Amino acid sequence: MKLEVLQENFSRALSTASRFASSRAQLPVLGNIYLSAKKNKLLVCSTNLEVSVAISIGAKVSSEGEITIPSRVISELVVNFTPGAIMLNSEKEILEISSSNTNSSVSGMNAVDFPEVPQSLGKTSYSFPKEALLQALSQVVFAASTDETRPILTGVLFLFKKGGLSLVATDGFRLSQKKLQDAGFHQEKKVILPKSALSELARIGIEEQDLKLSFREEDNQVVFGVGDTILSTRILEGDFPEFEKIIPKETNIKVSLDKDDLLRAVKLASVFARDSANIVRFSLKKDGVVIAAESQMAGRQESQVEAKVEGLPTGGFEISFNYRFLEEFLHAVSGGDVNIGLSNENAPGVFTDPSDVNFLHLIMPVRVQV
Amino acid sequence: MYSALSTIMLDTKKLWRDTLESIKVSVSPAIFSTWFSQTFLAKIEKQGTRFVIEVGCASPFIKTTIESRYFGMLQDSLVKSLEASCDLTFVVRQNPDKKTFEHTLDTPLFQKDDKEEINEAFLRTHIRPGFTFENFAVSSSNQMAHAAAEAVSNTPGSAYNPLFIWGGVGVGKTHLMLAIGYCLLAENPLAKILFVSGEEFTNGIVEGIRNKTTTAFRDKYRRLKALLIDDIQFIAGKDAVQEEFFHTFNALTNAGGQVIMTSDKPPSDISKLEERLKSRFEAGLIVDIAPPDFELRCAITQIKSKERGIELPMDLVQVIAANIDAARPIEGFLVKLASQARLRKTEISEDLVNSLIGKGAESIALKIRAKPLDVISAVAKHFSVGKKYLLGESRVRPIARPRQILMYLLRRELGLPLTEVGRLVGGRDHTTVMHAVEKITHLASEDVQIREDLLGIKNSL
Repeated sequence: MKLEVLQENFSRALSTASRFASSRAQLPVLGNIYLSAKKNKLLVCSTNLEVSVAISIGAKVSSEGEITIPSRVISELVVNFTPGAIMLNSEKEILEISSSNTNSSVSGMNAVDFPEVPQSLGKTSYSFPKEALLQALSQVVFAASTDETRPILTGVLFLFKKGGLSLVATDGFRLSQKKLQDAGFHQEKKVILPKSALSELARIGIEEQDLKLSFREEDNQVVFGVGDTILSTRILEGDFPEFEKIIPKETNIKVSLDKDDLLRAVKLASVFARDSANIVRFSLKKDGVVIAAESQMAGRQESQVEAKVEGLPTGGFEISFNYRFLEEFLHAVSGGDVNIGLSNENAPGVFTDPSDVNFLHLIMPVRVQV
Repeated sequence: MYSALSTIMLDTKKLWRDTLESIKVSVSPAIFSTWFSQTFLAKIEKQGTRFVIEVGCASPFIKTTIESRYFGMLQDSLVKSLEASCDLTFVVRQNPDKKTFEHTLDTPLFQKDDKEEINEAFLRTHIRPGFTFENFAVSSSNQMAHAAAEAVSNTPGSAYNPLFIWGGVGVGKTHLMLAIGYCLLAENPLAKILFVSGEEFTNGIVEGIRNKTTTAFRDKYRRLKALLIDDIQFIAGKDAVQEEFFHTFNALTNAGGQVIMTSDKPPSDISKLEERLKSRFEAGLIVDIAPPDFELRCAITQIKSKERGIELPMDLVQVIAANIDAARPIEGFLVKLASQARLRKTEISEDLVNSLIGKGAESIALKIRAKPLDVISAVAKHFSVGKKYLLGESRVRPIARPRQILMYLLRRELGLPLTEVGRLVGGRDHTTVMHAVEKITHLASEDVQIREDLLGIKNSL
């Protein structure tokens, strides 16, 4: 294989691809990036057998061929080349990379051992409103679990219904749901996709223009196409917990407050909460909420946030939350205000954004023994 | 769920393990753990002399890699283990054995309320948890009833209404009915369902008449979405109860409610059952469940031992299933087996199983109430052997085998002491009897003919 390619494009492709290569793979070839020159394209692929990426970039190909190169070596090398054209030339299992003033040769591996990676969307693909999806991902993905013992919770549920799409993620302590009105796909369908793949999709998606997706039922895969990048991910098997049941239908106590005020108060409380199981206590008053935290070692703290409180029980109301969950939720809110619906100190709090009716977040309170 | 089990199906895991072991030798550990460790045997079918094998792979990458690079190696290894040529297909699927049960999610957000709600529902509806379609073993004897019950649980009130399940003791009538109830509750814990026995229904009416609360009784029953009545034959011959049931039945079915009943006889055989009730019952679907066959008993033994956390190898499962012929005694036997193994601090072994089966009659209720001499005549008649020869000295196989069966029956079914059995069978030593019982116990698990002989003789008694 022999070709000429722009350093800017190649380096960008490599940095994306290197995130998909598995660093601790038992099989060395999976830690490699696959390069293939065909017609006037250079194809850059990598996979960890769960997700895969295939990026094609324009190149001047003088002879076709393929090779795999250790991911870390080539991406660190190419990123430091001076911008402009660089030459790639592979001879058996050695890849020579050269520009006007630099010359390096990297030993790679034969490409036959590299698994086959999806390189196209397939016949039936659906266009997706990119901006809306990326925003939804940023509001939902963070709520998915990182705990591998419950694989299904590490995924995000895509629930297609008559043109609409709901994205749901939960880690068992909180739940995030975002509805999209028009998803460009008009069948009822349910897939659960891994959190990791979706975070990558969100990163790649920022730069590119359009977004398409296709389902590969028999391979148990979903393939996304973003510009010249094809990202495939496996579908998680299993039943997503029945989340509809746990969303409270109505809440007696309604609190609405300013997002930034609340975030500041939560951050203040977190200084002390960090030492005591992340617990932040909310005490509802007639005209505000007192947010407090204390630590036996470091001290205590209390701040009052103005709020509109409806349905306050006569005896007052207290509830405790994990501040991390609150913080992450507040970062995902786009509007300026936040509504909180509560029913009792053991039932999940319903957090909503009044400027976005399609976004809903549940957080389970922490039970505190008094 | 277990469908009809055949020996080849039972060995698929072993077959695949053996195949993988031999592949492990020929490839590097990294290749093995990346490509092969997560594969499993999804399906195996015999077509003529060839086997068609479907290999399950966890991801499409694994599938294409094995398909393109290791196909020949896999095929060779399988051909060697199966001693027949085979065709391979590949499918992307998660290994079903490794699936974790996601609905046992023990996180604050999910579990608590759900469980309380459903537990409360169990209390309210009198449905006992633990009887589900998942742990109901199906074979030809109860396939029809199972299919009907599943249809009813999918579309209650419209598929078959009423559903009438009948069959002998311990064949799984109530299990199926409870499974329908469980299914309906799992879908909607607030569903109005009630499970009562025929007797409870009767008592309810009697109480209603006595306390003048018949209206409350009617309200309770006539607003149900599904009514499950166990042992409906109990209401036969009780006029007021039958009258009330007739009206309840009509009110329920008119409102689209489902009625499910079990009985030990078909409606036409229940004496003193009012004609109009009979005809109502016959308007729905009447299914019967026959006593479990050998394969089904194997499956039941496996399910029950799994529930009790007892590890039983297949050959022991077969020994148990061959010698005990109903579900409840099997359960009783397993309890006994587990407690014996604990008491003696031994592993569950074939010897232990055999010794317990040998004196099973003490714990397992006697089913045959016959005199020893009747048994001797029955065996003699079944094998067309003269009694004199049967009890005599001859040791040729055609005489000795029936004699062993005779000793087995006297010991197992009548619960006679070993020496007494020896005395009856021509004054033989008790060790001879022990040997005979063990021999037949073992043979019954392997030999269909012996099982049929035993069943035939038992039936003739």
